[in-house]
Amino acid sequence: MDLFLQRVIDGISQGSVYALIALGLVIIYRGTGHLNFAQGEMALFSTYCVYQFGEWGVPVWIALVLGMGVGFVLGSITEVTLVRPISKKSPFAVFIVTLGLFRFLNWLDGAIWGNQQLPTTAVGSKQGRFPSLFPREPEDHFKILGATIRWERVGILALVLGISLLLYLLFNFTKFGLAMRAVASNAESAKLTGIRTHIVLMVSWGLAAAIGAIGGVVMGGLNGTVNLGLMFGIFIYGSAAATLGGFDSPVGAVVGGMIIGLVENLASGYIDWVGQELKLGVALLVIVGVLLVKPSGLFGTPKVERV
Amino acid sequence: MSMLKIEGLTAGYGPVSVLHGLDLEVGEGELVVMLGANGAGKTTTMRAISGLIGRQGTIEMEGVNITKWSPDHIVRAGIAQVPQGRGTFPELSVEDNLLAGAYVRHKGEGVRDDMERWFDVFPRLAERRAQKAGSLSGGEQQMLAIARALMSRPKLLLCDEPSLGLAPLITQELFDVLGRLNTEEGLSVLLVEQNANLAMHIASRVYLLETGRIVASGTSAELSADDSIRKAYLGF
Repeated sequence: MDLFLQRVIDGISQGSVYALIALGLVIIYRGTGHLNFAQGEMALFSTYCVYQFGEWGVPVWIALVLGMGVGFVLGSITEVTLVRPISKKSPFAVFIVTLGLFRFLNWLDGAIWGNQQLPTTAVGSKQGRFPSLFPREPEDHFKILGATIRWERVGILALVLGISLLLYLLFNFTKFGLAMRAVASNAESAKLTGIRTHIVLMVSWGLAAAIGAIGGVVMGGLNGTVNLGLMFGIFIYGSAAATLGGFDSPVGAVVGGMIIGLVENLASGYIDWVGQELKLGVALLVIVGVLLVKPSGLFGTPKVERV
Repeated sequence: MSMLKIEGLTAGYGPVSVLHGLDLEVGEGELVVMLGANGAGKTTTMRAISGLIGRQGTIEMEGVNITKWSPDHIVRAGIAQVPQGRGTFPELSVEDNLLAGAYVRHKGEGVRDDMERWFDVFPRLAERRAQKAGSLSGGEQQMLAIARALMSRPKLLLCDEPSLGLAPLITQELFDVLGRLNTEEGLSVLLVEQNANLAMHIASRVYLLETGRIVASGTSAELSADDSIRKAYLGF
């Protein structure tokens, strides 16, 4: 029981990181119908920046906000300079462009920060570990029903739920949220109501990258390091989470992320032959099962239209 | 000064030009109907006025040249469009559709009052205010599209084939509303229609569009008196 509870908490907390990447994917997909392959790598660039801010002595929470700012600018610029002009010519080409951006950003990170784990004394890092947003020393935990729950896990979960709540309020109770939903629903009609769709799309990409940055920093904190491969797996899990949730539903992204985190942790914990190697496979199997029964995902809107 | 004055408008899609020097005028408080066959360029004209596609020539609103303005700027100047095929936001509730229509206005400027007003005019929308627009019937969606356009408090309403796919009774009801808005509130209207008989009843003036050019114009009475036009467009 105690181990089960611990695996559940760890799974949900792990899944909340996937949820952050999934949220970014969903925001962009809703606005433009594009799958942003570079979502994880944009987050990684911000994560490296947070490491760099840490080297300069910036406290971690301020570094996070700055990193989100970097992500926001990176996302906005990507939309304006790459995605917009190319999607006018061919929507399919955008897919290739984000794929290219994925490679480019990874190369850029390597060119600036090298291909080793950071921080490391080899390059004279001042920080011992990648900064964590929450206490993570061995004694930072509490016991409940015999399970050992680390504060870091609880903090991450609370952070992701907080972000999700803020996004929910933004989408449903602000004028900008209304504009985002209108653009996602019918871009041309949105123009006809006076919504500046180009600004909405630019901000959507910025917002998606800023949220992804939180995911990257949380991952860096959990691992204690950042390296060029940090976001590869997370991006795949994040895409899976978005698919499971329905790809156009922010709630679906969060729930989808947590389900995948749970399945992954429970399967590798309880089924011997799954272990670390096959846990992604099990998570994907669950998704295939769900999509067979409900093709639009758990929370996705099936296209219903009366004419 | 006229509400809308178009001179030598050419517009199209990419290398394909659909309008070849179109002239058209809507006076203040007029309801002008544009008739024409499929492919004549009616929708292209509407899209050009709203700034959705590239265009050359001059488009003036109340004497101000708005040819180069962006779509949101044009809406703010007071031109609202009900696009062909309704163009509602299917995933949004009826209320959110109307709120989006008031996007260019400031909150609290009587937006809620206006919404209730259009719910009075279209009671069926009021019953479905929390429903998603995509679940409404065709006629209800068309009402919603018109109400949404009116939420921006336009001076000029562009209406692109509102009767498309609707039952005759519903079409009649919509045209009654448009006619009343025009006569009672002085709303200027440019209406594109294939349903010529109905439209000409409420029209101040009529334009005939053929392959990107205006080929005839006049009052409803003048155009129905012309035999060839009557045969081609009115079918009697």
